[in-house]
Amino acid sequence: MEHSLFFWSVMGWMVVWGAIGGTVTRHAYFMRDLDVTDARRVGVAVGAATGPFGLIPLYFKTPKLTRLWKVAPWFGVLGLFVLAFALSDPGNVCVSSGSFLTSQIANGLIMGTIYGLMALGLALIFSIIGIVSFSHGEFYMIGGMVVYYVTAVLLPGWNPLLAVLMACALTFCVGALFERAFLTPIYDGRVERPIEYSILVTFGLAFFLQYLVQGLGGANPVKADAFIELPRWRWPADGSVIVTSRANITLFDTIFVSTPRLMAAVVSILALAALIWFLFRTWWGKALRAVAQDRQAAAVTGIDPRIMNMLAFGLGCMLAGLAGAVLVQAFSWLPQTGTIPALRSFVIIVLGGLGSLPGAFVGGILMGMIEAAGAGCIPDPTRAASYLPAYGMVVLTLVLLLKPTGLFGRKA
Amino acid sequence: MKTRFLTTAAALTMTTALAAPALAADCPIRIGGLAPLSAPGSVTGGEAMRAAMRIAIDEINAGGGVLGCPVELVVVDTEGLPERGRAVMERLITQDRVVAVGGGYHSSVGLASKNIANDTGIPVVFAETWNDRITADQQRFIFRLAPLSSEVAAIYANFAASVPGVQNVVIVAENTDYGLPASDMTRQGLEAAGITSTIYTVDIGTQDFSGIIQRIRADKPDMIIQVMTGEAAYNFTQQAAEAGIGPGDLPMTCDQNALESAAYWQNVPDGNLCFMNRVGLPTALYTERTTAFEAAYVAATGKDAAESYAMEAYDSIMVIAQAIAEAGSTDGNAVVDALEAITYHGVLGTITFPINTNNTPEQAGVEAKWWHQFPDPAITVVQYQEQGQSSTNAPVVYPPVYQTGDAIWPHQ
Amino acid sequence: MIRSLPNALGALGVAFLLGFPLLYAGGNYDYVMHLWITAFFYAILASSWALLAGYGGQFSFGHMAFMALGAYSAGLLDNYVVLSSHATGTCTEIGLFGSWLVLVDPTGVSTSAVNCLQQARGVWPEGVTTSRLPLLLSILIGAGVGGGFGWLIGTLVLRLRAAYLALFTVGFSEILRAAISAEVWLTRGQAGLPMSPIFPEGVTIFGTFYASNAKLPVYYVMLGLFLLTLVILISLARSRIGLFLRALREDEDAAEALGVDTVKYKRTVFVVTAMIAATAGVVQGHYVGIITPNTLILLQMALVIAMAVIGGLENVVAAAVGAIIISFGLEFLRNDFIIFGERVDMSTWRLVFFGLLLMLTLRFLRNGVIHGGLLWLERRAVGAETVAKRRATPKSGTEEAK
Repeated sequence: MEHSLFFWSVMGWMVVWGAIGGTVTRHAYFMRDLDVTDARRVGVAVGAATGPFGLIPLYFKTPKLTRLWKVAPWFGVLGLFVLAFALSDPGNVCVSSGSFLTSQIANGLIMGTIYGLMALGLALIFSIIGIVSFSHGEFYMIGGMVVYYVTAVLLPGWNPLLAVLMACALTFCVGALFERAFLTPIYDGRVERPIEYSILVTFGLAFFLQYLVQGLGGANPVKADAFIELPRWRWPADGSVIVTSRANITLFDTIFVSTPRLMAAVVSILALAALIWFLFRTWWGKALRAVAQDRQAAAVTGIDPRIMNMLAFGLGCMLAGLAGAVLVQAFSWLPQTGTIPALRSFVIIVLGGLGSLPGAFVGGILMGMIEAAGAGCIPDPTRAASYLPAYGMVVLTLVLLLKPTGLFGRKA
Repeated sequence: MKTRFLTTAAALTMTTALAAPALAADCPIRIGGLAPLSAPGSVTGGEAMRAAMRIAIDEINAGGGVLGCPVELVVVDTEGLPERGRAVMERLITQDRVVAVGGGYHSSVGLASKNIANDTGIPVVFAETWNDRITADQQRFIFRLAPLSSEVAAIYANFAASVPGVQNVVIVAENTDYGLPASDMTRQGLEAAGITSTIYTVDIGTQDFSGIIQRIRADKPDMIIQVMTGEAAYNFTQQAAEAGIGPGDLPMTCDQNALESAAYWQNVPDGNLCFMNRVGLPTALYTERTTAFEAAYVAATGKDAAESYAMEAYDSIMVIAQAIAEAGSTDGNAVVDALEAITYHGVLGTITFPINTNNTPEQAGVEAKWWHQFPDPAITVVQYQEQGQSSTNAPVVYPPVYQTGDAIWPHQ
Repeated sequence: MIRSLPNALGALGVAFLLGFPLLYAGGNYDYVMHLWITAFFYAILASSWALLAGYGGQFSFGHMAFMALGAYSAGLLDNYVVLSSHATGTCTEIGLFGSWLVLVDPTGVSTSAVNCLQQARGVWPEGVTTSRLPLLLSILIGAGVGGGFGWLIGTLVLRLRAAYLALFTVGFSEILRAAISAEVWLTRGQAGLPMSPIFPEGVTIFGTFYASNAKLPVYYVMLGLFLLTLVILISLARSRIGLFLRALREDEDAAEALGVDTVKYKRTVFVVTAMIAATAGVVQGHYVGIITPNTLILLQMALVIAMAVIGGLENVVAAAVGAIIISFGLEFLRNDFIIFGERVDMSTWRLVFFGLLLMLTLRFLRNGVIHGGLLWLERRAVGAETVAKRRATPKSGTEEAK
């Protein structure tokens, strides 16, 4: 970074004014007997984005905090951050190369879709049963392993989509069985602290599954063949618009997309559409949503919440398994593969608001973008990649500090 | 193979017969083996080494053991953790009462555990720990068969300098005690040859390299050097190929994990034309012993060839057995004296330790790192030149002494 | 009589542990001592985590992170802060009562670079002595760093729901692991930060000299720390704070309504247990001689949690006993065994059984194996006493009178 002092001064300025803004604004609203629920947050954002120039009028005017007030200053903060970065490091490839930026964004979107799918499973479980599953990463890993063993070992030559369906079926069944066997005590008050119990017992499951797979299959990296191999093709003849090769699509000579990933993202979107159809158009889906909204009321109308719990946990695990099943053609697979995606899913559902389904999906896409930005833009190449697992955590910390309910969350 | 068994057996029995009256060893003689057998260690490497060491022990026992005693191998799991390495070394010495230790994969484990062995006077012949400091400390009881990290780096740098038209190199290294010093030394070597280089370090658990790869592409390198082990290297190579900067697009070196052909082609289907560093005799120069070991190893593991670390592990046990036989005792000091004078015709070639107590680095006028170091583990660069090729058939393209074929330069 | 059994067993156990290194004379002495030291280390972590989770209701996954913070603080001090009897002239240094406090410049994992202290050693006259900071000081600093981070994290998440605490502390460990791995120039990353022995010059106890690598002094240091930890944890559990904590755990809203400052008490426990973990880290780091970021992987935290759960979350002593038994068990399960001619590689399978044991204990033995056993004994004792009482006074009870 060329002018790192400048960049860090701007960051310091934003933090200081953010802190002042949070305190002062809340004070102003409190003294005038106004609604203070969002005052601190808006104060932080206005302070960080504009410094005293926005804070002073806010302090004296204390306008009603509409949605515009709650959202717009954050874009200001983001804008200021980007501007400071661009000015302080003009030689950075993120700043100087538009094609690099487009490529990164495209890649972030594709990965984000798949992250979203996986996190959606976790959010679904939370919205129905109210627990966070610590074995989510292991279902992701198993999904991939099933596809590998089916396509490469057991039934080579069969359509890989069949293997994906088998992975879904297996993860659904394992999840549902586990829920019946180990999670039932949390519904009827047989355990004192259901949330903690469920965290520990799913953690135990994660441990068990990970080493079971290692014991059965060994610890060598495996990988399934790409589901689709593209023919070499270019259009027009000089390839200025689109060039495809076996594993890659190049658009306008600037955006490079790997086909296994694109394929995975496409399957994710199809699965998402199917899930939406299931949740909104079928009786089972409606019943699930009813349980998520109000357990008692749902029970009164004749929905058996026990079946819904099982269905929700199985479906959640299945979504993780599906994410793994479509990604095993893009990444090498190991029994430990699930750990980092699981952590990422945690961050995503907190970011989106625990238990919010749209939040999980939007959070997933945001997370894809954040990781792409982190890996692509951090100036020091020896650190950019080393800190990959940490970018999400920085976001998690900020969310917990500023808005613990997440983007779409209900009241905590 | 049978004849070799007989010769070994004859040689051993003869030594045994001569030494028999002076026998003071407790039967069975126990030799320890260090290998990472669970995560976070490199399990692939550990399992290969364990298989190789077991073959060595079986051969020794088939030939009547050592000093008239059967030999027992105690393989311990280092988990790739230095603290664990110390604990298991202690266990080998005080619990299992081993007389010498072979094997060893992770340099950090070797560095952490060697002092314990040296303090208690138990000879160690390290197989696959590359860090220069293992031998540079000049400890009486520490020997090594693996190449020095600095020598491998020099080969990399010289090879890169020999590639036509290379001006700008990107080095991708794992952030471990293997990757960091090796990448640093490679960078220095390249600098001396007038080639600029950028180092990207990554966490070993990294699965998704897309952000980093886009960034590397923006650097417009003429060549990429990987200093990475395990599935991270597979993931990187395949994803680079999908992004159009793979081994088929510009000269790229894959690390030695790529030598395991079956796993390589499964994980990196687009990895043709990759260059790999290989330790051990080139296939053309295989001794009878190498061929026999490889046959036994292939039969035992179902792999298609023996990796260099398997060969080193095998030799580390065999060289210890021969030293014990020659010393006529299992006493540490006697075994060290025998090792210093040894000439062992092994899988890796003829093993000697010419820089030793009688010929110190000062006397020989060489750097301290050559102490108790097998001076000539042939380090070569081979290249996959056909899709699905076995690494044993891949031609040696560098250095010229061992060359068996011409390199195919993808960028020309 | 049965009621006092646990106490008697406890006293016996402590006496056994105190005498063991003097009485044991097996050929594998060092190895057995090593197993005990490791077991104490895990027992400290598991029992303090049990207080945090069982009493405080805070299911933190950051306990190993606090341990690592302590170990790394001590390790950094050990490597980069040196007391010297002579000025170096090359390092940053502060004069201090006739000796010098030297700050050594980190050189990372490069094999060739020479730090300022090594440069100075080259030109120093004979007889210059250097030493690290006193162990107690580095324990204090390590515990302070652990406690400080505990306070920060406590402040950040204790107001939130349980799931958030778990998620955030997992993340905190991960961020710390990534940072330690990446900042190689300072921490030496995966290569590990070497640490000097607990008694670098050896130590003389009752006229017997023990070298720096002798196990016996370390055994007593770790055992002392373990017993001290138990004393602190038990007195904390029996104090007002313990009472409030239990109140909090049963019904947080009610406790708050009754005027218990919930966040304050939760945070106190968080900080205290973080400090205990950090102290254990300092001693363990000096004992093992090296510390790496891999101590922060989730598997290690899983071990501590499982030990506490299987021992019994509601009872710190039970958790500690559970930890000792499991750490021995995991070690003995490492040996491969052969079943139907197939060699079973136990290094993986033992963890499978371990995960299964954790799940089954949680599901069916809610109080853990050890604590559950103690409760069962107590119930039997109460039952026996009641029966005895009733027999002694046959007329008083109406049922028996009939």
